[in-house]
Amino acid sequence: MTDIYIPATSDTPEINFKFSNNTLSMSGEAYPENGVEFFRPILRQLQSHLKSLNGDSVEFNFKLTYFNSVSTKIFYSMFELLNEYAKNHPNCVLLNWHHDEEDDTILELGQDVQEDFTWIDFNAIVLA
Amino acid sequence: MSIDLFTLFREEADANGIVFYYSGILSQNVIKTMSDSLKQKLQNQDAKGARSRKVFSTFIEMVQNALHYSPEAPGSDDTKQGSILVGQNQDKYFVICANFIQKQHESRIREKIDPILKMSADEIRQAYRTQLKNDQHSDDTISKGAGLGFLTLARDSVEPIEYVIRDAIGYENELSYFYLKATI
Repeated sequence: MTDIYIPATSDTPEINFKFSNNTLSMSGEAYPENGVEFFRPILRQLQSHLKSLNGDSVEFNFKLTYFNSVSTKIFYSMFELLNEYAKNHPNCVLLNWHHDEEDDTILELGQDVQEDFTWIDFNAIVLA
Repeated sequence: MSIDLFTLFREEADANGIVFYYSGILSQNVIKTMSDSLKQKLQNQDAKGARSRKVFSTFIEMVQNALHYSPEAPGSDDTKQGSILVGQNQDKYFVICANFIQKQHESRIREKIDPILKMSADEIRQAYRTQLKNDQHSDDTISKGAGLGFLTLARDSVEPIEYVIRDAIGYENELSYFYLKATI
């Protein structure tokens, strides 16, 4: 699987999915005009990559500072894929949840993610 | 409009704590430009980041809602139009958005918002979480979003969100004007 690198724009995040070493990172802001269109190909590739793995450890770095409601929903689908993989391969998915100390919205979403995707190892990191 | 009337308009806006106002064509490019401007203004005004972020989020949800769901403005060539305002009243911010809607969608919008108006903060949070996990985007074929827009607004609003639907002057038969307000 080829790595995905998409540089950030003002309304789309930087996507740095290094499938070659299973380190997947997203940072920046996400409020594209059509979130589904923007993220669908990325989700598809993530899905087929996870299918090709067999117990490899995957690290996901979530470093977004703002995302709209459509993007939030898409990230939930992304975590669902990771959770499914981790269900079959326990302790193989680590989600590093970076958030600003003051940002209670992203902090609370992190708590929801932690409760809803119990197979994923969740690691909250306060942005310095 | 006379200069005198424009003076009144501007002074009235100042007196009402308006920090940002736009009325005109809506496109993603316009939204991006407005976002930069609004972010700068909020940064200058508000030391507490948490509220600024919620104001910004409310602004984006409202203006993208207007972009996605409003019909083409009458007499225009495939363009969307809307008005959006951000203001400050003592320690609270308010965001108000106005855009055309098709008259036939009026009841659908009421059905979506009215239940949210009756919810407590906890119920809003529960409904938000349920919708977040809901894979099927229900039976709603018109909605292009996540079904989370109004719930996101309600979640971040410290007072119940408010809305009004009024006849669009000159287009009473087919169009209405939808006003939406949140307080942060």
